[in-house]
Amino acid sequence: MHTYMNDPIEVTVDFFGHRIRPREVRWSNRRYPLQCVNLVHGALEGAKRIFYFSVSDKTNFMKLRFDTETLEWRLVEIYTD
Amino acid sequence: MPILMHIDFNSYFASVEQQANPFLRGKAIAVGGKGKGLGGSTRSVVATASREAKARGVKTAMSTWEAKKICPELIILPGDPQKYSDITNRLITICTKYADQLEQFSTDEVFLDVTQSAQDYFGATLLAQTIRAELKAACGSACTASIGVAPNKLVAKLASESVKPNGLTVVLPENVAAFVATRPLKEFCGIGRQTERALETMGATSVATLRAISREQLVARFKSHGAWLSNAAHGKDNTPLAVDAPAKSIGHSYTFPANLLTKHDVWKNLLALSDRVASRMQHGYVVGFRVNAFVRYGDFSQMGGDKLFKEPLRDGLGIAKSAWSILLPNIDYARGVRLIGVTVSALQKNSVPPSLFRKTEKMHSVLGALNTIQKRFGQHAWQRATTAGTMLLERTSGWHYDHELAA
Ligand SMILES: [Mg+2]
Repeated sequence: MHTYMNDPIEVTVDFFGHRIRPREVRWSNRRYPLQCVNLVHGALEGAKRIFYFSVSDKTNFMKLRFDTETLEWRLVEIYTD
Repeated sequence: MPILMHIDFNSYFASVEQQANPFLRGKAIAVGGKGKGLGGSTRSVVATASREAKARGVKTAMSTWEAKKICPELIILPGDPQKYSDITNRLITICTKYADQLEQFSTDEVFLDVTQSAQDYFGATLLAQTIRAELKAACGSACTASIGVAPNKLVAKLASESVKPNGLTVVLPENVAAFVATRPLKEFCGIGRQTERALETMGATSVATLRAISREQLVARFKSHGAWLSNAAHGKDNTPLAVDAPAKSIGHSYTFPANLLTKHDVWKNLLALSDRVASRMQHGYVVGFRVNAFVRYGDFSQMGGDKLFKEPLRDGLGIAKSAWSILLPNIDYARGVRLIGVTVSALQKNSVPPSLFRKTEKMHSVLGALNTIQKRFGQHAWQRATTAGTMLLERTSGWHYDHELAA
């Protein structure tokens, strides 16, 4: 099941030099410890840079959106088999 | 003698999706797009099928309805152009490092001239392996590519096509004629469906039978294309890389999931579209002087026009304002805007700005204006799918891909 959304979430990340790696997502009072960062891609929205993290845990795929201007994280897609 | 390389991502959009989402790997998936139906109407088609879906008979440009019928477990995803263009850029960045010259042939294909950088076919083979390793590191192991190396574009493409996925096929000059004889005519880039059918009526259904037809006969039937066919049958081709063929125009159009009914919504979406146009212009290092803008209403009638500007257009806001000046006087919100299109043409290579100061000044004014718009229209440019009518969604079938599918 693929669901598209735009929900504010909290994300714990690790920093590696100038890179960040999402470690855990908190979404509607649930914690999702992440296992894999499968793909990171960027996009421009007007003048601001957005990063998307395609991540997964044991059962869910999530696409996270990080706004580099407001430093806000959102969950934009979720997929469960 | 030149050494050409053709690199082609396998099942491109589907592979990128499988890279992003590991739960889709090994499954029959398809990325949907828009194709042309009868009478110019648009219909939902398969833009790319994963190799698992292809194995079950799903083909590019097949209607999604038909695809579902032959493969009921097929997972159909809407496209995510930002993701694909980011991956395409990685391919180009990597290849640019190694090639003498590069031609981007499509979203997922490049031709490289590696004559100087590779020196010989051994060097070219090493280069291909290096590129493959870097692609894997940059794009992930689900994004595989097939590579062909040969003395010309025609054979390089036939070579990459001959082994999928993840193939590396090197055709040495002395093996060209024999290799070409093993390939079906429909794989030749330059032999379309029409030519294939016409050749069939002349008795040519394979390379061997095509070789049996005289050059004179082919020229009599196909004019200059006949001479090309006669050469192609022997793997001869001298088409140069199209390195400096800049686009004539850059545009985007978008069909909204729900009709737009207010000035505010139309402006906001026009700006978002213009930003995409601007970002592609910046990518190609071009500026433009002509803007075409149009809207299609809910009843499919259309309104729009063209304007030529003295000052070059280069940023999203400038393009949006120019497009707005075309649309604003005539737009009828009551009819509901279903589609907006913005195209910039009269493109020129972006020359160095007269002074860095002027450039930064311009940037500041753009940022300032963007901020004003954001203040006026609210913080969140992107909204929930339930209020989708007001904004371009992250992924929707509304995007019209740059490479339109012929159906
Ligand atoms: Mg391909």
